Amino acid sequence: MDWINIIQNTCKALTGVDAAYFALAAIGLNVQFGYTGLLNFGQAAFMACGAYGIGMTSKYFGIGMWWGIPIGMGFVIVLALLVGIPTLRLRADYLAIVTIALAEMVRLIVRSVRFKQYFGGSDGINGFSLHFRELSPFDPGAQYGIRPFQYSGYTVWTLLIGWALVAIFATLVFMLMRSPWGRVIKAIREDEDAVRSLGKSVYSYKMQSLIIGGLIGMFSGVIFALDRGSVQPDNYSRDVTFYILTALVLGGVAKVSGSIVGSMLFWGIFVFSDNFLRELTKDGPLKIFGVTVMQKIQVGAINYMLIGVGLMLLMTFRPQGIFGNRKEMALDAR
Amino acid sequence: MVVTGAGKRTYRIVRAFAVVAGSLVLFGSGANVASAEDGLSIIASVQNQTVDAGVSQKQPVAGVTITVTTPAGSIIGTGVTDVAGLISFPIPARDNYVVTLDIATLPNGFTMIDSAKSVSIVNKDDFTTTVKRATFFTGSSNTSSQTLFNRMIQRGADGLRLGLVIAMCAVGLSLIFGTTGLTNFAHGEMVTFGGLMAFLLNVTMGIPLLISAPVVVALGGLFGLALNVFIFGKLRRRGVGLISQLVVSVGLSIVLRNMFLYQFGGRTKPLNDYSQQTVMRLGPTSITPRDLTTAILSLLVLVAVALFIQKSRTGKAIRAVSDNPTLASSTGIDTQRIIRIVWFAGGALAALGGIFRGLDEQVGFEMGSRLVFLMFAAITLGGLGSAFGALVGGVLVGIFVEMASLVVPSELKNVPALLILIIVLIVRPQGILGRKQRVG
Repeated sequence: MDWINIIQNTCKALTGVDAAYFALAAIGLNVQFGYTGLLNFGQAAFMACGAYGIGMTSKYFGIGMWWGIPIGMGFVIVLALLVGIPTLRLRADYLAIVTIALAEMVRLIVRSVRFKQYFGGSDGINGFSLHFRELSPFDPGAQYGIRPFQYSGYTVWTLLIGWALVAIFATLVFMLMRSPWGRVIKAIREDEDAVRSLGKSVYSYKMQSLIIGGLIGMFSGVIFALDRGSVQPDNYSRDVTFYILTALVLGGVAKVSGSIVGSMLFWGIFVFSDNFLRELTKDGPLKIFGVTVMQKIQVGAINYMLIGVGLMLLMTFRPQGIFGNRKEMALDAR
Repeated sequence: MVVTGAGKRTYRIVRAFAVVAGSLVLFGSGANVASAEDGLSIIASVQNQTVDAGVSQKQPVAGVTITVTTPAGSIIGTGVTDVAGLISFPIPARDNYVVTLDIATLPNGFTMIDSAKSVSIVNKDDFTTTVKRATFFTGSSNTSSQTLFNRMIQRGADGLRLGLVIAMCAVGLSLIFGTTGLTNFAHGEMVTFGGLMAFLLNVTMGIPLLISAPVVVALGGLFGLALNVFIFGKLRRRGVGLISQLVVSVGLSIVLRNMFLYQFGGRTKPLNDYSQQTVMRLGPTSITPRDLTTAILSLLVLVAVALFIQKSRTGKAIRAVSDNPTLASSTGIDTQRIIRIVWFAGGALAALGGIFRGLDEQVGFEMGSRLVFLMFAAITLGGLGSAFGALVGGVLVGIFVEMASLVVPSELKNVPALLILIIVLIVRPQGILGRKQRVG
């Protein structure tokens, strides 16, 4: 068992690019789910908007890559209106059903052969982050940071931008939620009818919350795409939203710090268990009393199973997560 | 609440989770993933396809030479297909390969449908499991000779068949929602459970499907009951809110799906019985006897369910609980018993749907979760919480989705179902048979 390697990988994951893009997506989901009580199960679709916006502009439209961000924002707004208009007047679970459907449909469309000329089919769009990397002030060959938090030059650049965005949006959301707008949003979560009786348009506030959360989620997709230099449709499957939700609930719903710490912990735990299980099965299948319990190719399935179990236990026993306040988990105002 | 009591209950719930998880591992299909990472291989399959009025039949072709090369052209392996039309090539790594069929070695009378398709490219990313299949089709295709009207009839018939299965699976989903308020995102996994259990009994143990199917249905019912007794019943008693329960069901679906993947592996596999079928003509459509039988059986089951809910005492009690649980329980109905019955029935129906789906397509760990979205569209269209709504909605969604594949490419045929969802929610949010509720 190579403990040093496991611990090193775990530490790197705590502050890695994966944690950064999860944190962005979780901050967005938190605006919708934590503060407003909207069950958006299609955050992956909003992330895909950003990623494909960047990918398509740099690859097909022949205009600068940064135009991808306004285009991605456009996608987000269109999708949010598409799911918001029919469902935001209805009970909470309708939004869940429609957003989960939307995420699946978006994935099917971008990976289809029919639209391959725009979205690149199941291969996605590749090799476009050169422009982004040229801007990097770091030496791509060198290693930066102190062990175990050591990353290559490219990664440090993405990390810098990613965590900067996390800080910006975290501050923004923190301030938004202390503003009059935020108070209305939180009041909608607590008691929709009371807010309506005060003459506020609940529908329009919910729509704004859905769009703002989606836009923050879009930046998550941008960072993810820039880091990989590619957009793959299957990176935006519906389960991604549930992993982000798990990270959010782990850190604490309706707390800005919760979505950041939750994402870091989520990746720390995930990478630790993944590395640990892979070490266990490195020299052939793991056997307990002669019975084969786990083979190398089953590690992934077991890891994701653990995420699901974690989500179930958290929701049952500590729905407020680590930092959350149980009073702010009024998720059952239906 | 006394602290010790809470602690004990916490412990009990944790244990309950463990029991459900443990029994699943024990239950799970014995067909373990055999090959480890070093068992990487490409399986080439040559099939002769005859298309008759939209229904295709496949026969394996033996004695065809297949060659696997790297993109650069160096040969990895070459060989001749066996009686099952298959040949397996071990490969060194997950990489890009080119699989080529030697057209000159095709038996007399066989031609490639499209001679360009005698070469198949295997991409590095295609290896979702250690084995990648490359399939070649011979024979001539005559789909184009069909008129639009004939194709519409055929699609309609296929859609009806799909719709009956969706309806069968969705009834349970709708009834569970009606009686407990839970939107169960793990319902698709209950369908998968049925399909995988059928595989375990029929293929791994070799029990004929006619005998194993009732066993699978009973197991599916017990599975549904177990989910209620060990998870959702406990959550209700703890006073966990409905939205939290919904998120728990999402977690449950992730757990179950990966458990199925762990036990069964990522590939889809066919059931043993009734896999070879010959097409027969039925009026303007053609259908295999197997599909006709499952369609008739689904119809009978759905009529039986409808009669049960409409006429029987228990059925009336179910409707009463759906309508107003508090009022129902004050008239002396044991709501918890009704909820248990609903979960059992929902699990059994979902398992039956899984068997039919497994016969129609193949059995795989994702078969149910692909269907769950259509099930949600069905119950939204029919009206959340209404059993009859689920029946009507299921059939309509099935037909709509299949008919839509006349217009949109078949890879996107589920997309119009999203359209149904959105239009229904704008025009008539309570669904066809749902009761109107005051909503914001």
